[in-house]
Amino acid sequence: MEIVISNSNGVPIYEQIKEQIKNKIISGELKEQELLPSIRVLAKDLRCSVITTKNAYEELEKDGYIKSIPSKGFYVAKINKDLAREEQLNKIQDLLDSAIVIAKTNKISKSTVVEMLNILYSEDK
Amino acid sequence: MENILEVKNLNKKYDNFELKNITFNLPKGMIMGFIGENGAGKTTTIKAILDIIKGYSGEVKIFGLDSKKDERTIKEEIGVVLDDTFYPEILTPKDVNNSMKYIYKNWDEKMFNDYLKEFSLNPKQQIKSFSKGMRKKLEIATALSHHPKLLILDEPTSGLDPVARSEVIDIFQDFIQDEECSILLSSHITTDLERIADYITFINDGEIALSKTCDELLEKYGIVKCREKEFKKIAKEDYIKYKKDKYEYEVLIENKKDFKKKYDVDIVDKITLDDLMVLMIKGVK
Amino acid sequence: MLGFMMKDLAVIKSNFKLLAILIIVYAVMGLTGEMDISFILPFMSVVVMISSFSYDEFNKWDSYAATFPGGRKDSVRAKYLTTILMLLIISIITTSLSFIIAYNKTKTFDYEYIFSTTLGTVFGTILVLSFMYPIIYKLGIEKARIAIFVTIFGIAILGGLLINYIDLATLLNGLAFLENYWIFVIIVLGIVFLYGSYRLSLSFQMRKEL
Repeated sequence: MEIVISNSNGVPIYEQIKEQIKNKIISGELKEQELLPSIRVLAKDLRCSVITTKNAYEELEKDGYIKSIPSKGFYVAKINKDLAREEQLNKIQDLLDSAIVIAKTNKISKSTVVEMLNILYSEDK
Repeated sequence: MENILEVKNLNKKYDNFELKNITFNLPKGMIMGFIGENGAGKTTTIKAILDIIKGYSGEVKIFGLDSKKDERTIKEEIGVVLDDTFYPEILTPKDVNNSMKYIYKNWDEKMFNDYLKEFSLNPKQQIKSFSKGMRKKLEIATALSHHPKLLILDEPTSGLDPVARSEVIDIFQDFIQDEECSILLSSHITTDLERIADYITFINDGEIALSKTCDELLEKYGIVKCREKEFKKIAKEDYIKYKKDKYEYEVLIENKKDFKKKYDVDIVDKITLDDLMVLMIKGVK
Repeated sequence: MLGFMMKDLAVIKSNFKLLAILIIVYAVMGLTGEMDISFILPFMSVVVMISSFSYDEFNKWDSYAATFPGGRKDSVRAKYLTTILMLLIISIITTSLSFIIAYNKTKTFDYEYIFSTTLGTVFGTILVLSFMYPIIYKLGIEKARIAIFVTIFGIAILGGLLINYIDLATLLNGLAFLENYWIFVIIVLGIVFLYGSYRLSLSFQMRKEL
């Protein structure tokens, strides 16, 4: 499992850990029932504090992505694929919204934006 | 969460310096960074915890036991590194081993020798021929080799180059893989602490200025940079301290989110432990 | 406590070269000339023990030892036991040397003379060390050096002055009844001094800021 932590991008470390594990679960890289590294092992491997990894796991658990089994550890939970997909769609919608705001305030036509989207979508693979 | 170390109302008076009501707790399985400028009282506090200095008042509990009454039991399970304090330097690591195996019941000769190998320290070489970094490594190896439950380390990374520091930090993180074990570690190299410390305790002029989880500190606290006009609008209770520079005001605040809601300022920066120390020491209220 | 003694002995061993040279020099002097070698004992003991305190202080050993279980007390106790052990070893060395030198000169062994000289010097050394240690534990070796020097000097002057007023012959006559028991008296006194000195050092060390 790869997790990359940046010290300088302004995002709290626990949130970086949380987001990256979440993405791996949604993408299927981490499978249901898979055992995650313990809070302490992960802290050591990422060279961060125990409380940081604990926070990340607790938030993931709260959001239903992982579940803890006492004295065994944290496992990837059975996630609701639709719910996860919806969350991702919401994110895309938010970003597109801000793009549209910029387009509208600068009087850039819809067709130009769509064209741009088409080009970017096929290019960036 | 159970505390491995509890310090309560520690007071100690010197002619020109005073420890005032030092109080903090270190939970099991955690690393606490103990920061403060030189002369702020870090070493004195550590020495009082270990009952090395005398004539202090207050209570120290380690493993739930009284530090004076149960001294022998407690010290069997503490590993210590003190600045500039060790075996006489004409001795060799081998002499240290020969002595230590009769001092600690749990002294682990094999573990000690493994550390010597890992750190490339020659067991038959006199300590005085070691570099400062090698000495520190030897002191750390010695502190770890009787399987202590609590490590008390005064400036354990001073004199170490970045590579050695990272080796040593790995060892500290290995140490707390056992949830029963904790580390109290004083350092002025705050970047080491920012990542691995669970708690930060900051001592300023003999008093504890704050003791909090490191994450809370780095996430919530912030620095507002603004002009005089904006600074004047900030209520006194909404900042901790400020510092006036030539071009701007730097204001230390306790909660970035709340502050942004209340005031309209452009720059609210994340804080580093260094910023925090400088503003707490040099800043005014 | 054995661990603390191991450390003290290791320090002495690291200084062994110095000791060996001293012993050889005095052995040669004893064998060739008229030199009485019995005074090496106190001289060497003081040199060895003072240097052991100096090495300790240079690396603040006492502070470090106080972090060990029972370290404060055991480090003092170990110092005294190491001293006794060292006195024993050095007495054996000097006694055997005395025998060799004596045999070399006269082809006979004067057991009584040699043993009583050794015992006398051991007693003298114990007196000196018993007096030094508490001062060292109280003041630290650097200040203690001066304090010891000043006190010995003071006692010498005081003694010199007193001797004019005391009738030495009467005093010795008064003590004459001890003649048959002097070995016993010396041993008991030695133990009493050493133990008193230990208690004093310990009480200083237990209250000291390290």
